[in-house]
Amino acid sequence: MRRPFEGQELLRQFDEIGSKSLPLVALAGAAIGFVLSLESRSSLVHFGAQSMLPAALVYSIIHETGPVVTGLVVSGRVGAGIGAELGSMKVTEQIDAIEASGVNPYKFLAFTRILACILVLPLLTIAADFCGVLTGWIAETLAEPISFHRFISQGFSVSTFRDFLAPTFRTVVFGLIIGMIGCFQGMRTQGGTAGVGLSATSSVVLSSLFVILADVILVKIILVFFS
Amino acid sequence: MMPAEQHVLPAVEESAASREIIGASEKSDAPAVVLRDLHKAFGSQIVLDGIELTVKSGDTLAMLGRSGTGKSVLLKLIIGLQKPDSGSIRLHDQEITRLDLEALNAIRKKMGFLFQNAALYDSLSVEQNIAFPLKRHTKMTDSELGDRVKELLSSVGMESDLKKMPSDISGGMQKRVGLARALALEPGILLLDEPTAGLDPITSGEIDELILKLQEEHHMASIVVTHDLQSARTIADRLALLHEGSVIIEGSFEDLEKSDNEFVSNFMKRDS
Repeated sequence: MRRPFEGQELLRQFDEIGSKSLPLVALAGAAIGFVLSLESRSSLVHFGAQSMLPAALVYSIIHETGPVVTGLVVSGRVGAGIGAELGSMKVTEQIDAIEASGVNPYKFLAFTRILACILVLPLLTIAADFCGVLTGWIAETLAEPISFHRFISQGFSVSTFRDFLAPTFRTVVFGLIIGMIGCFQGMRTQGGTAGVGLSATSSVVLSSLFVILADVILVKIILVFFS
Repeated sequence: MMPAEQHVLPAVEESAASREIIGASEKSDAPAVVLRDLHKAFGSQIVLDGIELTVKSGDTLAMLGRSGTGKSVLLKLIIGLQKPDSGSIRLHDQEITRLDLEALNAIRKKMGFLFQNAALYDSLSVEQNIAFPLKRHTKMTDSELGDRVKELLSSVGMESDLKKMPSDISGGMQKRVGLARALALEPGILLLDEPTAGLDPITSGEIDELILKLQEEHHMASIVVTHDLQSARTIADRLALLHEGSVIIEGSFEDLEKSDNEFVSNFMKRDS
């Protein structure tokens, strides 16, 4: 029995969507962690609660900032990429050529991209979380030296593995949204190069919008069922 | 000339539907393509209004007509990329207008389509473009696949460009690669959408010669959409002129030249 997806194309998409998004996602996570640490420190010092900083930072990053920043960064980079690539293939009749050769273009082009987005988003989120926590520690240790081990111990003192699991895996839904919207917008492209531009733009706008909406809904669900 | 059945790839994965097609072409002289009362409109614009055409295996029919008269739409209807509003499309005696996607894909494996701009997959090399249908519809080993790709590229004079990307080769070369890809699965029906459009006269002549050579070797039923009367005269056994949604004349080049119909006469004079 044949697999419902194309192995080689799936690997190519892992590289396109995963490996090539990693630097941007890591940078975004690192920047957020550093800034969060700086901003939170001044507020916590004001209330004499600077010892709470590692816990507040880790909780904030793994619960909300890491997953959402990853979702939005990938929406921008990958959503536009999928929309433009498939849109370009549509207007140059490459998708028709795939169909004419007896291959299902949805299975070959859409399914592989959506599956890659779904599988890669949680991994990218872990990378963003790690970079955020790391730069949060760097910012903190520049102000008041603290070992990384101690920072992590304090950071995870109020967070459990379960706290990390549900927020990270809600990015599976973000991946589904980004992949589906990019493929849908790309494969219904009409009108030449202007249409390709429109597909890329609408892919980014819609996937960002739906990632934010999904985040709100999923946070509520996670709070109800996992807290 | 070699009969088509001798070229059927031994390892092609065939469903019941595709076997039925091959069987039909082997056992009878039934026409490969039969279109009856075919209608297609886009909104209020009627593009095809009762098309009647028949093409036998080994025959080449050139579809002529003004731009926007639905010639390319006709090819897309035949390969199932678009659905007709009404009418019948029979390929090797099998009606395709009501088939589901799986059965239609089985039939498409036995058809080749050269798109107007070749429509090569731009993220794949020339070699990978040709291998694309072979990888998915045959059980060839890597070495068999490599040999077959080389053989196909050699038949279109492109054997030295295996590793090049489509963006690195000229329009004429892209057409050749597109033709090789269309022939990869030894099709019984070949559809060519303006194979010489946008090419210089010398390259057009080379493409015409190539089509003639391949037609002799593979004995396919071919439908060629073209604006190039010189090309149509060279490669086609019959010509059909499409006007206002219908085939207004069908016959040899000489038949069209001798026609008293004002539109046919103007068309032939303008293009000759």
